[in-house]
Amino acid sequence: MTILRARGLEASYGPTPALAGVDADVEKGEIAAVLGENGSGKSTLLKVLARIVPASAGEVRLDDRPLASMPRRETARRIAYVPQSVDLVFPIRALDLVLQGRAPHNRGFASDSPEDRRRALEAMRACDVESLAERDASALSGGEQRRVFLARALAQDADVWLLDEPASGLDPRHRLELLEILARAHRERRATILLVTHEIDLAADLADRVLLLRSGRTLAQGPPAEVLTPENLRRAFSVESRIEVDSAGRRRWVPVAPAR
Amino acid sequence: MTRGRAGALAVAAALLLLSLALGFLAGGVRLSLPDLFSGQGPAGETARLIASLRFPRVLLAALVGGCLALAGAALQALLKNPLADPFLLGTSGGAATGAALAVMAGLSPFLSPAAAFAGAVVASLGVAAMARRGGRLDLQRLLLAGLIANAFFSALLLLVFSVVSGEAARTMIFWMMGSLADATPGRALVLLPYAAAAGAVLLLSASRLNLFAVGEENAAALGVDTEKSKGIVFLAASLLTGAAVAFAGVIGFVGLLVPHAARSAVGNDQRVLLPVSAIAGAALLVAADALARSLFTPAELPIGAVTAAVGAPLFAWMLLRNR
Repeated sequence: MTILRARGLEASYGPTPALAGVDADVEKGEIAAVLGENGSGKSTLLKVLARIVPASAGEVRLDDRPLASMPRRETARRIAYVPQSVDLVFPIRALDLVLQGRAPHNRGFASDSPEDRRRALEAMRACDVESLAERDASALSGGEQRRVFLARALAQDADVWLLDEPASGLDPRHRLELLEILARAHRERRATILLVTHEIDLAADLADRVLLLRSGRTLAQGPPAEVLTPENLRRAFSVESRIEVDSAGRRRWVPVAPAR
Repeated sequence: MTRGRAGALAVAAALLLLSLALGFLAGGVRLSLPDLFSGQGPAGETARLIASLRFPRVLLAALVGGCLALAGAALQALLKNPLADPFLLGTSGGAATGAALAVMAGLSPFLSPAAAFAGAVVASLGVAAMARRGGRLDLQRLLLAGLIANAFFSALLLLVFSVVSGEAARTMIFWMMGSLADATPGRALVLLPYAAAAGAVLLLSASRLNLFAVGEENAAALGVDTEKSKGIVFLAASLLTGAAVAFAGVIGFVGLLVPHAARSAVGNDQRVLLPVSAIAGAALLVAADALARSLFTPAELPIGAVTAAVGAPLFAWMLLRNR
């Protein structure tokens, strides 16, 4: 069953177009990876789906309902957005940051009833950050902050998670930990995940579906084995590459040279 | 309401009470509490008479201080910028220019506050119009537009200042430096409903402002209609600033410093920070005014200079402490 469907999506920042006609279909419960070179519109696509950036044309449907006609707060109860990083100017307890995930569920966007706290702490436990609850989130490491924001998506109780480069910039151990937590949460909550990544191997390992973007348009979408061909990757990334199979039987992408 | 929140409010309220007492007792004539409340005969009567004369001034100081600090705190959260100040957004320049133009046109001094308020509204709307981009209020552009407006209005003010007569110029200095000397019960009562209405709007926005304090995208992703909220908060903060300037001129530092000091005391939960800032702002301005009236009697110091002279070292101390 298709949970998220985008057709002809366009968006721009001032005069600069960022999306120029994106089509996407995401099935309920699957993990979809959005791939594309820098500036191809990956992050903008997530922001349009999260209703952070307005679409200038096209339509998004959530469970076949137009997103544009849905109250914003209801959208936020269904769709959680996890940013790549946030510049925290003011001090804020990690627990309070996770509690903000409860805001769309409450009147006036308040978020600290006992029930909210219980859910927030439960989400923090699931992401192995319960011990950081009282710490100032702006003083946490990148990996810790990433997990705190993931915990917030869990506390938000949404069934669609939009993750902007969840594993980038993390050292190998924290990267593996984060992916493990993500896989576990996905299994337990049966959420639908749309994640933006630069790592083609990560997409191949993790995703049920890959969406390849180029210059704000959908180049290809489908199962990783069908979409991640040397030909498609050359068109998407302007790189000559070959696919190898490693000892564990996983397909590895090996870039060879910039495409002429 | 948690116990911590109630405690913070209680401490701020106690501070306000202390400074209100100071405001009634200090001045050219020093009063004593026994005289004021139980004094018999001429001493008691004089004390009560002087206190009733001081009452509108203390009330105005409290309202103006509360307005400025509350507006500053809300703008800092909205713009996710601890250096945001209600006077950065052009409102104060517009208000002072409005008042100056009224003085130059020879309008009755009773109309000056109305003209100042009109100037503040025009300036805010102009700044908001400049800050719009692609149908949205761009918060980065808002700060820049405010700077532009302030530069323009100070220039205008200086131009007006240089062509008016000595008497008019003295009136204009009042607006530029800020003063509570013209306080009357009527003025304080006119300010009260503005302060209450716009202040209530900001206090009711506190939870949304918590989401803005992490970022505008954060608020949008959590379901806030950000365009609506930005408009409402900016308008309410501008109204508070405009109303304060209309009755007391431009009194600097309160809107910047008080939210800062309050934040380091109670944290950045806007549901606590906004009311604590408002109460602390009221307390600070009442105390500063008491100092301005009593330090060099019979001369009266400009209140804006007192707040800055007290505020700047306090700011420096907070900065050094966090090194």
